[in-house]
Order: sequence, then C-alpha cells, then structure tokens
Amino acid sequence: MRFFIIALSIAFSGCQPAKQETVVVEEELPAASRNIAGPLKLSEHSIFVGLLKNLRPASNVHPYEINSPLFSDYAFKKRMIRMPAGKQMKYDDREVFDFPEGTVLIKSFYYPADFRKPEAERRLLETRLLTLKNGAWEPLTYIWNDKQTEAFLEVAGRSLSVSWIHSDGQRRDVAYSVPDVNQCRGCHLKGQRVMPIGTSARQLNHDNQLANWQGTGLLAELPHGGAIPKLVSYEDPGSSITDRARAWLEVNCAHCHRPDGQGKTSGLHLAVDVTAALALGVGKAPVAAGKGSGGRRFGIVPGKPDESIIVFRIESTDPGIMMPEMGRKLAHTEGVALVRQWILEMK
Amino acid sequence: MLRFLLIPAAVAILTGCSSPPAEYIWKNVEKSLQTQLITVRDGDTIDLPEGHFMFTRSLTLDGKSGIVLRGQGLDKTVLSWRNQTEGAQGFLVSNCRNIVLQDFSVEDAKGDNLKVNDTRGLTLRRIRSVWSRGPHSENGAYALYPVLCKNVLVEECIAMGSSDAGIYVGQSDSVVIRSNTAYWNVAGIEAENSRWVEIYGNNAYDNTGGLLIFDLPGLTQYGHTTRAYKNNIHDNNHENFAQPGNIVASIPPGSGIMVLATHDVQLYDNDIKDNRTVGVAIISYELVAALNKGVKDQPGAVGGAQTVRNRFREDTLYNPFPYNITVFRNRVSNSHWFPAISIDVGKLLIWHSPFTPPALLYDGISDPDRKQHNICFAENGDVRFVNLDAANEFKALSMDVAPFVCPPGSTIVRP
Repeated sequence: MRFFIIALSIAFSGCQPAKQETVVVEEELPAASRNIAGPLKLSEHSIFVGLLKNLRPASNVHPYEINSPLFSDYAFKKRMIRMPAGKQMKYDDREVFDFPEGTVLIKSFYYPADFRKPEAERRLLETRLLTLKNGAWEPLTYIWNDKQTEAFLEVAGRSLSVSWIHSDGQRRDVAYSVPDVNQCRGCHLKGQRVMPIGTSARQLNHDNQLANWQGTGLLAELPHGGAIPKLVSYEDPGSSITDRARAWLEVNCAHCHRPDGQGKTSGLHLAVDVTAALALGVGKAPVAAGKGSGGRRFGIVPGKPDESIIVFRIESTDPGIMMPEMGRKLAHTEGVALVRQWILEMK
Repeated sequence: MLRFLLIPAAVAILTGCSSPPAEYIWKNVEKSLQTQLITVRDGDTIDLPEGHFMFTRSLTLDGKSGIVLRGQGLDKTVLSWRNQTEGAQGFLVSNCRNIVLQDFSVEDAKGDNLKVNDTRGLTLRRIRSVWSRGPHSENGAYALYPVLCKNVLVEECIAMGSSDAGIYVGQSDSVVIRSNTAYWNVAGIEAENSRWVEIYGNNAYDNTGGLLIFDLPGLTQYGHTTRAYKNNIHDNNHENFAQPGNIVASIPPGSGIMVLATHDVQLYDNDIKDNRTVGVAIISYELVAALNKGVKDQPGAVGGAQTVRNRFREDTLYNPFPYNITVFRNRVSNSHWFPAISIDVGKLLIWHSPFTPPALLYDGISDPDRKQHNICFAENGDVRFVNLDAANEFKALSMDVAPFVCPPGSTIVRP
C-alpha cells in the first residue's frame, strides 16, 4: 500500500512544471549488524504500576523535581528515579550525584490538551531512560503509541505533530522531535562519558527534597547546615534578573558550553558558576559560528541585546543558527526575554 | 522486491511527461541509515548505495571505533540536507576513533556540511562537500570541519560554497591535508589553532583567500608547526561573503596565503598566482583587532567598544604575534594592477602601495618581548615585498626585503 501511494505521488508531481517540489521516495537500507541493548517495550522495564499511561511509580521508583528545567518546546516533564534496593546516591556539591550501578533516571514528556488544565487530558509523547549499566550511562527512548497503551523503543528518533491550547488560550502546534540515541549522547556527553545533567545538588535542592531523600535512606553524605547550592527557578519573579538569566543559560546551554562539553570548541562557557566575562561571551568574537553570528560581532555586548550573538541565536528557529542546536523547534519567548533583560541591564 | 519494480516504474512515469523530469529521484533512507549508524558494531563497514538521498535532520555517528562508511563515488552517492528542519550539521561524527568516510557527497546543510568533533583517527577521502547554489552568505560555515581531532587525513576532497572555510581543521593535532580542491569559499583551506599540520598538493582557487594558517585567542589550544608546500593557490579574488563578526570576514579578496599570529610555519614550493591583493601575508592579531573596529569608541565608558575590542588580551597565554615563519622557493606572480579595495587591508594597500600589490607582506607588528622574530623570505623570485610597519601607523613602511632575507641554512625543510 505504501508503495502504491509513493508511486502515485511521483506520478502527480512528475508532471508539474520545471520548478517542482523535490520528490522523495521512502526506502530502507538492508539491516546491518546491531548491538542496541534494551527491551522493546516500556512496560517491560516495570517502572510503572497499574495503567501504564498513568505513570504511577513502582515502590522503588521515586518522583522528583528540579529547580530550572530545560526548555523542550513547552513540553511538560515527569521525572523519576529508580534506585537499586538498599543502595544510595552520594551527594556532590558541584557535579551530578554519584549513583549506584543499576540506577535508572526516567523522564516522561507530555503535553496537556489545555495548559490551563494541566492535570486534565494529556498526550504522552516519549519516555526517556538513562540507565547506569556496567559503569556507563545508557540512553534509551520509548515513543508512546496513539492509544497511549504502550511506548516502544526507538533509537533513530521521530518527529511528532503536537498541538495544544497554550496558557494564553491560543492554540499552538509544533513538530516535536524525539531525539535519536546519538542526540541523547550529544547533550549528555561530559568528556567522553555519557552523564546525567539535572541531578545535581543545585537542581535537586528543591523544597525539602534532599532532606526527605536523606530521611528515607536514598541519599548519603548530605552536608548539615545551609551549605547546599541552589539554582533559582528562572520562572521565579522573586529572584534577580541576573540569577534567573544565569539559571536559564545554565540549563539550556551549559551542558554543551562547558570546558568538557561538546560546545567547548567555541570558548563560550555558560555554567552558572562562570565569572570570567570573556568566557561568558562579553566582548568575545565568534570562532566558528558562520551565519550563526547574524553579522553581530560579539557574544554579548553589555546593554545591547540586539548586538549580542547570544540573543540572535536563542531567538532563532533556523537549524543552522539556533541555540541550543537541538531539543527545540520553537523559541522560548520567556527565556529570551529574560536574557535580553539581563544583557540590557549589564554594565 | 516490490520496491525495486516500482522505482523503474516511477522513472518511466516521470520521463513519460512532456515537462522536464525531476532532476533525480531522491530517496529517504533517513531512519534506516541513522539506525545503522547507531547500532553498527565497532569495526564494521557500512556501504552506502548509489543514489540521491534526502535528509531532514543531522546524521550522526557517535562513540564508535573502526567504522568505515563508504559510498559508490562522489558523483554516485549524494546525501542532501536541502530540506533540513533539524540539527545544525549535515553529517556529525563525534567522540569516535579511527573513522573512514569516503566516496560520497554531502550537500546543502543548514549549518556545517560535515563536522567531526573529538575524534582520534579520521580519514576523509574523496568527499565532495558543497552548497549547490554556489557562494552565498546564508550557506553553512564549513564544508569539511574536523575539530578537536588527532591524526587526521583529508585527501582528494572537494569543498565549495562555504561561507567561512571549505576545508577547515580547528584545534587539532597531526593533520595531513593533501590533494584537495577548494573553490568558491571565503577561505579555501584553513588550519586554525592546530599543531603539526601538513598541507600539500592542494588546489585552492576562486576563494576570497586561498590558504589561511591562523591562531586565535580563547580556545582549547594554540597552534604552531605547520608546513604548506606544492600547493597551487591561484585567482583567489572572490568577493568576501562571510557574515560580519567572523574572523574570515576581514580577509580581503585576493589573498593567496595568510599566516596569522602563529609560529613555526614553513611555506615553500607553492605556486601562488594572480591573487590580486597579496600573495603571502604574515600578520598579527593586533592588526586584525585594529581593523575590526565596528563600533565607535565610548571613551571612559565601562564595557565600551575599546574594552570589548581588546578583550583578546584577557587570554594571557595567547601570543598575537607571528614568529619563525619561513617563506621560500615559492613561485609568486600577479597580473593584477590593483588590490581589492573592499576590505580594510585592501584599502591600506592601495593607499600605501598603489601599483602592483605586494607578493609578500608582513604587517611589521612585532612582539616587544621577543628579540628575534625569524620571519624571512628567500628565493621567491623577483617580487615585491612590503613591511607595513603597522605598529607605527605605517611611518616606516618599507619595500626593502633585505632585513627579512632568510639566513643561510634556514630554508632547509624540516624532516
């Protein structure tokens, strides 16, 4: 049937005038050797109990929150962690916590039909797993079926059409992109190793989460007293513009733009603890940005967001220009406004 | 089987029309090829079939070892990102070891066509990487772009249309670039912040600048030790179509070879012909920074333009001055009478050296902390030389090459 449709589409487009749409025929290459490890269905992982789409965690699976999430085209996310019985994660001041072999980090992406009623009807798109196996973190992605009864392993990614009613009551659409495994690695690589990103003290220091984990024995070596770093929520109007903008840059950029990240080639480093102006982009000329510079001369020109390359790139949705390079199809209007304001106020 | 019957059928339908047929039948193998690249076992070879293949997102190979990916020839296996909606590169290889890519074409990515990041052991052989509409400022920056790599061989490749550099090796070690062709790029071939680089037997023409050997501040490593020989660098007079802000946007059209702020470079036995502004230029980053004043100074203002422009000095380990540069036995000639004047360096030259642009140029900005710069020229024929003395507002601009003639023994090719 598929081939019939293709042949038909060729027949139609083939007779159009000279300047025609490119005809693309679906084909498959012969299967090669494979070494992907992972069950084909999400349910086989036994992460959830009851009706799968309700995402009710099993007893060894613990939901958690972070302070500032990565922007993913406005998708909502539910985060959970499965800990091996009797084991603990170890606190770290700066880096992500040290997790025991067998830990699974679970993140489910979904869109409520209406953002003004986030607890009502929703569509699950994908559930991503990061599993610590033989000392290495392995990313796997499961895409939910239309009936929302199961999610299936997909290593090559997929584009999904999504629409929802936004918080302003307007209908929005996006060609949501489920990443392929290499794209997973692309963001999660630290040096040569795949690592979790969000499970750091500054992100997990949210309400009493860390103390609770310590209380239930999940977390070891939590320091006493108030010495635990905390990233602000970039959505928190009570925090300073600087703190909010730096938090936004940290979660959206610093997984690559750090000295051991994929974006290190640029010399731009955007982790929240970076203080050197040049590394942050102030007065920094582009290195290999090409048209990504937008004709602007420096990463940041204090007081001048419209002369700053950073603003140009986070506003863009052109794949050859936009930053981050992947993980979004839309611009994060609120985040862009924040970074603009921060640069505007910068002396 | 059915599918193989249908392709000829489709061709028959197409060619049966009276209107011109589609240029090719583009195929979509995106999902199965990407799955292969993810699931391939270390040490395996992936054969790409003959045909034209269209992609909507970047193809990626990550964390693999000993993979050979080969097509049926750069005219026969063509990968295009003309319809790309996702990803900044066409093909991205990262964190791999011993990868061979050969005998196919990559075209029309939104960003770089082929980027290789953090890889030890890389061969790019007979890859044609182009933007099919020709030179355009909206083209991606680099056609072939190994960065942070070690043990790199780029040979018999073709690069065309890059809005920055065609063949660009950045922050890499032990690199051989040989027998390639680069045309219609802003920079034909560029080695940047790289060490132990051999560039020979290449043909770079109709670019803005033919061959660039650059060292820039603020990156993961500094470059040195590069040899370029037996290259044919001619007619690099294309207008500069780089986006402003990028370093190559300051390259004047008509630049043959440009050496910027690096050291231990030998240029010899090259044919450098009809590059209208300058054959070989040796300059410091100070000159680039001075020419790059896009914004007016705001005296006294913190964070004003002056501060911004001089930020490169914050990289205290960076040396903006070239030294140990030997230029010898090159055949340099130029039939043009005027340099290109569209860019500042060109304006400088037409002001200070109006007729017959120099074959060899040194900006004369020297490192105050270094006694011997060892920048010298020998046996390049009877050609014009200019020392701009840019450090002193061109006061002592001189055409006298005598102070820069290589001392005996210095033009011995290092092993």
